[in-house]
Amino acid sequence: MDGKENLSSTKESSDSERFPSIFKYIASNSISGFDTTPSPRSDIALFEVPEVIEDDIQERPDNVILPTSQDQTGGLAHAHSISISMPSSPTLFQAEHSYGFLACEKSISYLTKDELNNHVTANSSSHQKMEAKCHSQPISFGRSNTVATSDVLTQSNKFKDKRYDSFKTWSGKLEKQISNLRGKPPEPEIENLTKNTKREVVPAHRFFDALEGPELDKLKASEVLVLPEDKKWPFLLRFPVSSFGICLGVSSQAILWKTLATSPSTSFLHFGLTVNLVLWCLSLALLGIISSIYIVKIILYFEAVRREYYHPIRVNFFFAPWISCLFLAIGIPSSIGIKLHAALWYVLMGPIFLLELKIYGQWMSGGRRRLSKVANPSNHLSIVGNFVGALLGASMGLNEGPIFFFAVGLAHYCVLFVTLYQRLPTNETLPKDLHPVFFLFVAAPSVASMAWTKITGEFGFGSRIAYFIALFLYASLAVRINFFRGFRFSLAWWAYTFPMTGASIATIRYSVEVTNIFTQILSVALTAISIIAVASLLTSTVVHAFVLRDLFPNDIAIAISGSKVDKNINTSDNGACQSVSNGDHYQANQKEGPSLA
Amino acid sequence: MEVKEHEIPVAAAAANARIRTKVFADGVPASYGNLTGFHAGYFRISLSLCGQALLWKTLSEPSGGASGGSHALRRLARSVPAVAHLLLWSVALAVLAALCFLYALRCALRRRHVAAEFSHHVGVNYLFAPWISWLLLLQAAPPAAAPLSRALWWVFVAPILMLDVKIYGQWFTDGKRFLSLAANPTSQMTVVGNLVGAQAAARMGWPEAATCMFSLGMAHYLVLFVTLYQRLVGSSSLPAMLRPVFFLFIAAPSMASLAWNSIAGEFDVGSRMLFYLSLFLLASLVSRPALFRRAMRRFNLAWWAYSFPLTMLALAATEYDQEVKGVVADALMLFLSALSVLVITVLVVFTVLRAGDLFPNGDDPFAPPPPPPPLGSSNNTSSFEVSC
Repeated sequence: MDGKENLSSTKESSDSERFPSIFKYIASNSISGFDTTPSPRSDIALFEVPEVIEDDIQERPDNVILPTSQDQTGGLAHAHSISISMPSSPTLFQAEHSYGFLACEKSISYLTKDELNNHVTANSSSHQKMEAKCHSQPISFGRSNTVATSDVLTQSNKFKDKRYDSFKTWSGKLEKQISNLRGKPPEPEIENLTKNTKREVVPAHRFFDALEGPELDKLKASEVLVLPEDKKWPFLLRFPVSSFGICLGVSSQAILWKTLATSPSTSFLHFGLTVNLVLWCLSLALLGIISSIYIVKIILYFEAVRREYYHPIRVNFFFAPWISCLFLAIGIPSSIGIKLHAALWYVLMGPIFLLELKIYGQWMSGGRRRLSKVANPSNHLSIVGNFVGALLGASMGLNEGPIFFFAVGLAHYCVLFVTLYQRLPTNETLPKDLHPVFFLFVAAPSVASMAWTKITGEFGFGSRIAYFIALFLYASLAVRINFFRGFRFSLAWWAYTFPMTGASIATIRYSVEVTNIFTQILSVALTAISIIAVASLLTSTVVHAFVLRDLFPNDIAIAISGSKVDKNINTSDNGACQSVSNGDHYQANQKEGPSLA
Repeated sequence: MEVKEHEIPVAAAAANARIRTKVFADGVPASYGNLTGFHAGYFRISLSLCGQALLWKTLSEPSGGASGGSHALRRLARSVPAVAHLLLWSVALAVLAALCFLYALRCALRRRHVAAEFSHHVGVNYLFAPWISWLLLLQAAPPAAAPLSRALWWVFVAPILMLDVKIYGQWFTDGKRFLSLAANPTSQMTVVGNLVGAQAAARMGWPEAATCMFSLGMAHYLVLFVTLYQRLVGSSSLPAMLRPVFFLFIAAPSMASLAWNSIAGEFDVGSRMLFYLSLFLLASLVSRPALFRRAMRRFNLAWWAYSFPLTMLALAATEYDQEVKGVVADALMLFLSALSVLVITVLVVFTVLRAGDLFPNGDDPFAPPPPPPPLGSSNNTSSFEVSC
């Protein structure tokens, strides 16, 4: 099969003029059986033409010839798309050819400039003999050595844009619309074979398979990302929804200072309402800023937001903006003098109600997202919203609404509490060692106790029971303070301060009811701990933001691939075809251009 | 008299096959073969009817303490004439009596099948259904039947208590039937049984018995609620056709709310919280139509599972409205009652039109694997029935 010999493509071989002929040759021989190439070639790169993908092959040559004619813009998009096929037999396989990269015409590519160069150098010295049958994708285009790396750099911007397209709203079309509207000249329409980048639905188990860590944000070693790991992603892609934790932390501090100033039992401290006012305005500003950034992210990078929604831990942070609004309403300084209307309560509780319906319903009936699998301490955020809403509603004088949310929250809190305490072996997300997220355990009972106090009008037995439970949980975590070391700082830690603040507020409320020296000392102590924690977090945040400049690292958690792709394509036989089959599968998911499934 | 339709020796493993082999050797004519398929799930019909009778009775009574602001909505909701209630009650009584008779026949003649049903994790829960129906009927009875009701209460509650001891004990002692393995939404029928007994007792003026049954029901409801929500891996999952029983999630807290209302004398915070919980669960289930899609393709007995929980919720809304008078409460009561009436009407219509779908066709879903043919007996005298 002479054709087979010639079918080898040397992408970056020195005889670049052979490119056209080779690829034309490919076109004409696209359908013939391909698998065995009897003689080795000195510079045979991996190349096979699958039988089944005729139309694909037909199309390819057209595109492939493009680069030679048009080197600048569109060509480079293809230049970076290299698909490699693996022979299945180990004898044919050389390490240099073990690139399991998949061709991505348009948007996502594993290749970076460096890898490309490696590929270039390695391939030129390869010796290879291909015998076995192996399905693969054809090489669309190979980067020639002659193409200067500077070209790559100049095109890197466009290249980078294309890579993030799958995370953008409508795969980048919205952005084009906006830039068209703004009068920018339209970019040359790159001939793309992908009409629509298929939206990849990442099932729940993928998050557990690919990620680890108490916040499910560390990538397991065997996984790859769909976005380049060594580049800094656009800011919006790095802005997680857990940033709303800052609002939670600061607004709960505002409530704490208000309580300190207004409670009779802590009046000996002589705090004024100034701190409350300052903190309140600060948290209002923070909420505004973070909300606007996130709204922009929703508009421009909707797919990324969707992925965050699918993430088993991040989904709970979608409650955080609404809870922060509720906190702001509770902690409003009296000097502002606005009387909050009851309609505001309904407006704020509406989104919480809808989110709850979705998430609790998933617990009850969702196949993959059943509670025994996904239960984790962050789920407390979904429960606390109920109690905070009940607290606010009762403060506003409503009757039935607060009881409704209190009942729903209580029922589901029982379920969650039991599940988390059980630490079921099937549960995959609980961190084995303690992490600040465990402080969320304290949040629900302390807020429930305050809510019940407001509902019933007195700090009765129900409130006391809830409060003592909260106190016990706080104590059992505080004595294990040693186990909280060694975790990387993240913005989500702000969300874990509000339980401490909540416990302090509940203690102050309790000390109003039961006023003696012990309760007063306790309230002062807990308040101090809470303030210190917030202050140290503030310092860390400032340090990370301005000194270390890594406050917003690449958000790995949302960039995992939709299906498992084997990262290490190596010489092993199994590895090779595994990678190919995975690659095929991945291709099928990605649906770029001619489907190579 | 032996009636042989097919003589196919079937091993136990073939119980899953769709082979209907009815070879009776115990002298029962083949026409009674349908008894095999008549499982306790058929009592869903009587549950719904009796519940509906109770609802109509409550609605036909003048709302106590209606102050001058009796809204139009409430008047509309409570405009059920007493005659209609009596009629429905009689129909419910007749249906329940017929079903009980048939099931008694089945116990007598298909003992093995009844035993199999008793061991099945779904089937056993519906053994509560007849007694719940009787208790509801008792409560819905016209005042003329009052003297008998106390004695009858004991008659109907005793089996519930016996079943309780058996089933709840199994949950934490019997290795094969641990709660973590056997829990499924129909297990809430056991809780509902206790709560109905509690409510009936409270209405008859026995607070202690009422509290006892209430605490029994609630303690196990707590455990069951958590277990069902957890959906432990390895727990038995419900077949898709039985998804309508998810509505039992609504029935249990509504019934608890009603029971506590009867015990406490007023619709206080506890009852309200339970009522709100069941409202939330209704919203949660209604917003997931995909869950029920497969069961809704063909009319089958499981559809009757929709009616009883909605009726109980409507009853709870009625009591809620009694306590909390207001437009929202009235509207809620009206809406839920209308929904309940609508659902049961649709079900009755479907049943009448497509009765064939409902009849037991000899397939017993809880059938045990048939026993191996006795040694030395010829095929002609083999006496096993296989139904799938």
